[in-house]
Amino acid sequence: MGDEPLTRSGIPLHPNYSDADVPAAWRDVLAAPPGSPPFLRGAYPEMYRAQPWRIFQLSGYGSPEEMAERLRFLLAQGETGFIMKRDRVTNDHLYDADHPEVEARREDVGQTGAVLLSARDVERAIEGVPIDHSYAHPGAGVVQAGPFCLSSYWVAASRRGLDFTQLSGTGQSDFFLTYVGCVTKDQIPPRAGLRLNCDLIEFCAERMPRWVPVSIAGYNGADSGLNAAQELGALFANAVEYFEAVTARGRRVDSFARQIGGINLRTSMAFFEDVAKLRAARKMWCELLRSRYGVDDERALRLRIHVVTAGSAMTYDQPLNNIVRGTLMALAAALGGTQSLGVSGYDEAISIPSDHAHQMSIRIQQILQHECEGLMDVADPLGGSFFLERLTSELEERAWAFFEEIQARGGFVATLEDGWLAQRAADNQLAEWGLGRGSGRDVVGVTDFVDDVCEFPIVGFAQGADAWERAMVRLRELRTTRDGRAATGALQALEAGCRSQANVVPLMLDAVAADASIGEIGTVYREAFGCWDAPARW
Amino acid sequence: MGRAGSMVNSARARVLVAKTSLDGHWVGVFLVTRALRDAGFEVVSLGQATCDQIAAAAVEEDVALVGLNVGGRVEVVERVVRRVRERAGDVAIMAGGTIPPWARDRLEAEGVTVFTPGSSLESIVDTARRLTAAATP
Repeated sequence: MGDEPLTRSGIPLHPNYSDADVPAAWRDVLAAPPGSPPFLRGAYPEMYRAQPWRIFQLSGYGSPEEMAERLRFLLAQGETGFIMKRDRVTNDHLYDADHPEVEARREDVGQTGAVLLSARDVERAIEGVPIDHSYAHPGAGVVQAGPFCLSSYWVAASRRGLDFTQLSGTGQSDFFLTYVGCVTKDQIPPRAGLRLNCDLIEFCAERMPRWVPVSIAGYNGADSGLNAAQELGALFANAVEYFEAVTARGRRVDSFARQIGGINLRTSMAFFEDVAKLRAARKMWCELLRSRYGVDDERALRLRIHVVTAGSAMTYDQPLNNIVRGTLMALAAALGGTQSLGVSGYDEAISIPSDHAHQMSIRIQQILQHECEGLMDVADPLGGSFFLERLTSELEERAWAFFEEIQARGGFVATLEDGWLAQRAADNQLAEWGLGRGSGRDVVGVTDFVDDVCEFPIVGFAQGADAWERAMVRLRELRTTRDGRAATGALQALEAGCRSQANVVPLMLDAVAADASIGEIGTVYREAFGCWDAPARW
Repeated sequence: MGRAGSMVNSARARVLVAKTSLDGHWVGVFLVTRALRDAGFEVVSLGQATCDQIAAAAVEEDVALVGLNVGGRVEVVERVVRRVRERAGDVAIMAGGTIPPWARDRLEAEGVTVFTPGSSLESIVDTARRLTAAATP
């Protein structure tokens, strides 16, 4: 038994499975059809017959005009929603283009997303994009940037004459992203982030019926090293933080649970475990809400899932092989019953996606939707497989155990504050890739079959090189053409709000509507909340 | 560790590891830092730093090797390389990360040893040993 291969979550794999491997209690769970609690077998009864998954690709680079051009291109190629990826240097750190940390790396600006410093920039970035009937992710990936990113999009939309209640889309404000994985140089402490996220949840519950205010992104934990069981356990521990914090403000869980029941998971080359992960996630969400909070509204109990395929699975060498990897990871998402999907670009390890790589990510999904016979016709097509059901039940068990471990340590945010969760990810990284400790997993074209006689070189996408210069021009124009007194007043009100118990979102909307820039908002935050001293991992 | 004990020069060698960009991808930096430490190097971790900070630290810490994690444009790395050479002389420099082939060529022309994604930690450690052995009289 010691030689049994293990999944990444440590679940042993047997040579074959039979009826006896499926736990007896699992049969009752299986008896519930897709669309019925606990939703193991799918969120909706008809699944893709009624609604194909949304093709939803991460996109954005350079200046706002370049973002608009890429968004229009992707929608023309068949994308059915859009994501406005913003520049990490400016956006994730809440820096203006003339911040010294930005100027020191000016060429990097615009290489990891588009530079959107104000609502005016967002207006330019959605020029010609049909936002009135498109599902939008305006780039609110990072917790501290969430309120600004959403407010700047909502203000830009209202300047086009749309009412907030008409807008549909999603925020993200994900803790895994910058408190576990991509830790920023400068960000507010996690507790301040929790407060902002709860402000967004309350605001959307009252004002934005078609908006997901925050979306927990297990992807970011997973691609930072957490295994599938840890990804799920930590994700639901994060959800509990929201439930506890928002109910402490006097709201009932069922008044906002449906809105935050749109999450993000990763699929990777751990194909079967990832199919199991999506199925287990739906069941766990349903049971968490029922048993812990007594929620019985089926719309709230139904978890919706967005999947992004693992960027870390994409190789630098022989990059066209990544099209095959993308297809397999996308198939896992579909077999798990995802509601929307982004496939990482085949040039992921080389650059941000070229237009061709982006198009391929869409084509992969279109081939699955239009050519893969049966996939769109039958819900939960692997349901009932002895192997998959055993895997799903075992994964759920391990995920709850990790969830309980986090709860015992004081909850999700406490494990961010003391670095415990990040250390779990780091331990896995070392076990997987560390010197002399590597697992020996084969990667075609990297560890094996490296003799590439047929070369298809990829140059690497490198547009948007003048993004910093152009951002400086827009910033100067913003500062000289806006009503400076109104902007200053709104920023002062925002700072007072940050220091009080007020909901910051209406104050953020005022500041953004007065054309305050992202760096000015960052200054307010840094004054009011201070900066997080991230615990050292090495 | 036996690995470190067999390389007397490397065991003493100091390496500065820094990240040139604010992109936030840490896995590579973490793994390389740990691998160098496990192999007996003394590693100074600078985190995300500007060209001036990296050059100053290279001098102050008197390192034999500077390791740069790259998550952005090659021009930023080239500025770091120039500043380090101005301040710290001909200290050896390695760079790794999402570096497209054309950028790799430019860095190699500047005498920088480049590792692209998928490189083994063993090869990085071996190169660090070779580069620091050459720098040690």
